[in-house]
Amino acid sequence: MASTESSGIAVPAFGRKGKLWLGLLGALIVAGLAAWGYQLTTGLIATGMRNVFSWGLYIMMFVLFVGLSAGGLIISSAPKFFHSHRYEGFARLGVLVSLACITVAGLLILPDIGRPERLYQFVTSPDFRSPMVWDFGIVLLYGALNLWYLWLLTRRDLAAAGSRLAFGREDTEAGRERDRKLMFWTATVALPTAVALHSVTGWIFATQIGRGDWFSPLVAPVFIAKALVSGLGLLLVVAVLADRFTRFRVDREELASLGKVLGIFLAFHVVYLLAAERLPHAWANHFEFWAITGSFLIGESAYFWLWTVVGGALPLGLLAIPSLRKRVPVIVTAGALAVVGTMFEGIRLVFTGYEVANIDAAPGISLGGTYAGVGTDIWATAGSYTPTLVEVVVTLGIIAVGALIVTVGMRYVPIQQPDGQRSYATDGGHEDTT
Amino acid sequence: MTNYGLVIDQERCIGCQACAVSCKQENNVPMGQFWNRVLTEGGDKLDTPAGGYPEDGDDGTLDMHYQPTACQHCENAPCVKVCPVNATYTRDDGIVEIDYDKCIGCRYCMAACPYNARVFNWDEPEHVPEEGTGDVEARPQGVVEKCTFCSHRVDEGLDPACVVNCPADARIFGDLDEETSTVSKYVNNYETDRLLEDRGTDPKTYYIRGEMSPGRPQTSDKLESELDDDAMPGVPAAKSGGDD
Repeated sequence: MASTESSGIAVPAFGRKGKLWLGLLGALIVAGLAAWGYQLTTGLIATGMRNVFSWGLYIMMFVLFVGLSAGGLIISSAPKFFHSHRYEGFARLGVLVSLACITVAGLLILPDIGRPERLYQFVTSPDFRSPMVWDFGIVLLYGALNLWYLWLLTRRDLAAAGSRLAFGREDTEAGRERDRKLMFWTATVALPTAVALHSVTGWIFATQIGRGDWFSPLVAPVFIAKALVSGLGLLLVVAVLADRFTRFRVDREELASLGKVLGIFLAFHVVYLLAAERLPHAWANHFEFWAITGSFLIGESAYFWLWTVVGGALPLGLLAIPSLRKRVPVIVTAGALAVVGTMFEGIRLVFTGYEVANIDAAPGISLGGTYAGVGTDIWATAGSYTPTLVEVVVTLGIIAVGALIVTVGMRYVPIQQPDGQRSYATDGGHEDTT
Repeated sequence: MTNYGLVIDQERCIGCQACAVSCKQENNVPMGQFWNRVLTEGGDKLDTPAGGYPEDGDDGTLDMHYQPTACQHCENAPCVKVCPVNATYTRDDGIVEIDYDKCIGCRYCMAACPYNARVFNWDEPEHVPEEGTGDVEARPQGVVEKCTFCSHRVDEGLDPACVVNCPADARIFGDLDEETSTVSKYVNNYETDRLLEDRGTDPKTYYIRGEMSPGRPQTSDKLESELDDDAMPGVPAAKSGGDD
């Protein structure tokens, strides 16, 4: 692979730190594979899930990573759709991060299902009434779209650098012109596909009448909002880390401007949509003014507070204060908090569905755990869940695959738009990703 | 068309758990799992009432009912609609059933079912005795399973195991599309309700509350439609529970 100074490659070669990082990711992936192998032999009994609480960490993280995959693609395709050059410095990195996140999301489904060897049934025997079939299709489509878009954005530069990843394309002015048109058309497809991806993932939950708060028409719009918040938050964090550890350079003004956009997304999501969701319930269930107000403002679980305060009010505050919001560490902190908040929102959504059983008369529902003879309490009247070490290790392994995609992408794909900005001197070929 | 349904007379139910146990035995349900449960509506524990004893000349408020609960075989079954691979489906006779060779174990159906009627084989199912019980093949690890209205018995003209083994004749199985069937008559003549009716699932399991019905009329373990005309139900002739 060619990696000249002008190629836009963020990581021309892996240095000592780089190899250490790759080793860490490799170790996480191997550990994840081993844990999944263990889970395959023992069954999902190795997880914290049981009959009442039957979806856990894998689905919670699936929801998170589907959301995370939004930011990059939207930041790179929305300006292209409007023929604008704004945020161009983020376009390629954004698509790379999106590709990694949607891959993580797709892989997270594998350990969740009881018989992964039968996955082909999705193709041979689909029921088109099932939101999961729609989601299966759109996740694949979205992944393919990201891959194509990343190649389209970089193939002329790859060709100029003589990379085999150009797959025979040549760096000609006519070719670049044609690609610019293709980018516009790809953007016009990418935006509705992104909207569909997040809506359909929301509808997996929003169509269910049996699981408390899931059955709400607001779930799909909320999924779009949290995709914007968390996806942009992650992109800002990754961009700054890449700037710190690789030759990739972030445009400070674009960064500050995207920070402001994140603030707007946060305000829309955590303040407006949440209020719109909570107010009717609070109003209908209570009589006195202060009872309505209290029920509107005060959440019921730790996840609620982790989401709204740590992941909502705090980053919003940081991004709202003019003297703070242009500082890189503040933007990174706000972005990271937005991701953490969205994670807890997803966790809370799953908990609200499973915590309470609709029919909770004694003795309850058989849990289906290991039967250890007479005296085993096999019953539960409510759902409870704590992920096991196996689930955590498998999940970390899959997230490491995503980090590996970003890292390898920076090594072989010109992630920096080659124009002027790349002349920054750097101190070496180190890299990092989340 | 045949459309099977179940009527459970909660006034007749004595909470003996015979239906739950015979279901487990007939269907080879693994240890630690139940397809059919007899819930106690009342106190916090099985067989305990809500309310208090009569004291100081007041009336007591003790109250308890039994609610046998299994798959409700909904007309608008959410589990059927969410199954991505058509593993859960509605048979022509209205029974909601699972193709255990197709099920990928995604458990979306468990999220969809408002009744928590479904159980998942989290590990290799354990049976006592090891070779299993009853007439149904054991399901493997990693699939979801649930009540089938004993479709293997229904196919042979027999009532479900829980129905023939109910000593109180509180369970009546039959064709809801057949106007003269006992289930149709009871649904029309008695005050019945269905579980979580507000969810719009349209269950085919009806619960009689209030006035007690004459219960399951037939004396054999055959389906009502298999009986001779002269042995037809309606009036509860000599009831003897039925044997299996």
